[in-house]
Amino acid sequence: MSPWQQLSLAWRARGAAPLLREYYQSLHPLLQRPLSDVSLVAVDMEMTGLEPQQNQIISVGLVPLIQQRLQLATAEHQLVGISGSVGQSAVIHGIVDRHLQAQTLAQQHLLSWLLQRVMGKLMIFHHAPLDLAFLSALVPKAPGSALRFPVVDTLQIERRRLLRERHILPQGCLRLGACRQRYHLPVYAAHNALMDAIACGELFLAQTASIDPHVAVAEFLWWP
Amino acid sequence: MDESELLPIRNFLAEIAPFNELPAELLEECSRSVSIGYYSKVSGSVPLSSENPMLYIVRSGAFEVRNAEGELLDRLGAGDYFGFPSLMSGESISNKVLILEDGLVYHLTLSLFEKLRAGCRAFDRFFNRAYAKRLRHQKASHNVALMTANRISSLMVMAPVSVDHKTPVCDAAKLMRKHRVSSALVIDNQKLVGILTDRDLRNRVLAEGLNGNVPVYQAMTSAPVTIDANALVFEAMLQMSQHNIHHLPVLENGQPVGMVTSTDIIRSQSSQPIFLIGEIERQQDVASLIHVSKQIPLLLQNLIGADARAEEIGRILTSVTDALTRRLIQLNQALLGEPPLAFCWLAFGSQGRQDQMACSDQDNGLLLAKEPDAAATAYFDALTHAVCSGLNDCGYVFCPGDIMAQNPAWRMSLENWQQKFSGWVNTPEPKALMHASIFFDMRCVFGPESLFTALQNQVLATTCDNDIFLAALAGNALSESPPLGFFRQFVLERDGSEEKGIDLKHRGSVLINDIARVYALSAGINEVNTAKRIRVLIAQGILTRKDGLNLADALEFIAHMRLANQGRQYENREALSNYLRPQALSSLMRHQLRDAFKVVHDAQAALKLKFMRSF
Repeated sequence: MSPWQQLSLAWRARGAAPLLREYYQSLHPLLQRPLSDVSLVAVDMEMTGLEPQQNQIISVGLVPLIQQRLQLATAEHQLVGISGSVGQSAVIHGIVDRHLQAQTLAQQHLLSWLLQRVMGKLMIFHHAPLDLAFLSALVPKAPGSALRFPVVDTLQIERRRLLRERHILPQGCLRLGACRQRYHLPVYAAHNALMDAIACGELFLAQTASIDPHVAVAEFLWWP
Repeated sequence: MDESELLPIRNFLAEIAPFNELPAELLEECSRSVSIGYYSKVSGSVPLSSENPMLYIVRSGAFEVRNAEGELLDRLGAGDYFGFPSLMSGESISNKVLILEDGLVYHLTLSLFEKLRAGCRAFDRFFNRAYAKRLRHQKASHNVALMTANRISSLMVMAPVSVDHKTPVCDAAKLMRKHRVSSALVIDNQKLVGILTDRDLRNRVLAEGLNGNVPVYQAMTSAPVTIDANALVFEAMLQMSQHNIHHLPVLENGQPVGMVTSTDIIRSQSSQPIFLIGEIERQQDVASLIHVSKQIPLLLQNLIGADARAEEIGRILTSVTDALTRRLIQLNQALLGEPPLAFCWLAFGSQGRQDQMACSDQDNGLLLAKEPDAAATAYFDALTHAVCSGLNDCGYVFCPGDIMAQNPAWRMSLENWQQKFSGWVNTPEPKALMHASIFFDMRCVFGPESLFTALQNQVLATTCDNDIFLAALAGNALSESPPLGFFRQFVLERDGSEEKGIDLKHRGSVLINDIARVYALSAGINEVNTAKRIRVLIAQGILTRKDGLNLADALEFIAHMRLANQGRQYENREALSNYLRPQALSSLMRHQLRDAFKVVHDAQAALKLKFMRSF
């Protein structure tokens, strides 16, 4: 890891709440390690819409990626309580209000729930800015102050890869399903946060399968 | 997690054998416990760890299992497995799994795999069979003995008739009548306590003057001899003859799961090749020989079912034909008297190459030690007509081209045969070349080996390094090509408006036979079986090891597809043919078949380069 990255990580952690700062610090030793030696977690969230300030997270799926394998045994799927109704978004994620009555997590506990589970692990998202914006909206006291830890973004990796081959990317070619198709990954009919997290994790495995596993993980990171 | 969340993974597992046999809760546990990896072609092979063996379930992509010597054991696609042999044997991994196409793989841990085997009998049986099959492929020279090494579980009657020990014998007898069986298991508290047979009902009830209200436990044979489901058929036969009994309850983990009777065993053995050949040699007249030959289609079916290699099936079927031919000659000699002079019965074509399959016609000839006089001519005329029509009655129909020993044209002295072959070699006209493909694959089925060798050596001496003849023969071998179009799509044969499919024989097997023949004749190799020819060509360095093995693999694969296709046709009571409909293939099979045809295509190109360069 370059000194700049080290500094950057410390700078980004300043002023953060204790648990969040602990997460920044837990990433420290990871950045210089080779990809094959780092634990990651693929994360996906379902929301009631696309506006972080107006819409809410309704479910989170996590699947750890350890030693280049997605570990379903320790995967988790968590529904989150919302104020109001899921409305039209139920069409997409299939979660209706009835589901949200049992075993849900309160919005204010979501961030610490997530941080406890990803401690010492890098997070993988497909299109990280959206997920991070929603998570940032959860930061207590200073809602909206952005979370700025480095993550893996499979969409960015794919964009970079495709731009090396051509200049203009056709619309929709960076969607998760379209990316997966290019690697001959199976089509998963169901959409929930857990299956999408697995789908995203598999995409990352496919993207990195032909790459020397000794390459530092830092090569794959996206810094918000 | 609630069960709907991993639906795509569970649904995939639920569709593949043997996971489809698992109870819902175990299936759910599987989908929650797999770990997922992705393997890229770039890395070459899947790193398998002996310390941490896993069951690998292919979700997408294509893989190839090869042993330490590099021999191909299996090709795998979606829904196939690898890694199970070391899971089951505990031995370290010696096979390599090569990555042909990038793919996603689900991994299952050893402890879960063992839990599934313990929790579901069908699951356990599936992998036992897969393991046995892999072992079989592992052993380079597995042979016919394998067939008699079948396990009891393959022929026992599942869900046997059972009665409670307190049931009145007349109710038990009614149940046995209803199921048309000669025995029933007697159960007390889910445990096997005895067996009730027809003989028990006769000796212990009727002969004792008892009535039908006697409870079963008074009439049964208690503590019966049993056998484990994993025991060999052979061991069951031993048990039966030692104890002079005809029924053996089959146990699995101490629980009764089936019944095997001496009739089941006899039925399973009667279509074994060894048994069949023994039967053929025992028959004293042509009529009973014809009767025995009716078993041949069943033999073929059993061999296909036992998943024997196509090469071996060809050899076994041919050895049955050879035995029939020999017995027909012997029986007719007994009628006609001793032959006036020494002769060899020659087999040509597929019987010569030892690759006969279903519905072969006969191609044969007679080689006489010297020019026959009128009496000898009459003798051999009678003998060959009798043998050829005997073969025809046994299912080997008369050769449409009349290449048969009963045709005087193909009944010649050594000298005349030698002249005939020289004629073909020196004047390779189209008709001669057509004959060559049949006659050059010759083998002696009956008669003195020395007489046959005298002919074969002379033939090979004339073909060896004979550029003009070999170029003509190579040209003839190239007149048909494998059914691959410009875009590597299959080319289908059409019959009027009807689509017939891929001709696996004339555009597959025959082409490989032709290629191997040209090389073998060019090098004076006396083998006629195509696989053996290829092995010798590799050993002599005429074909590179890689090209040779590829060609042998393609030969085996295409022959295997032909057999499997005919097995399916037989089961569906369709007419047997060599046409395969590509729609009937899985994508992996299509992929492999295309590969096999590609190998044939490349081998044809190499043949052209080697033998037709200067023409």
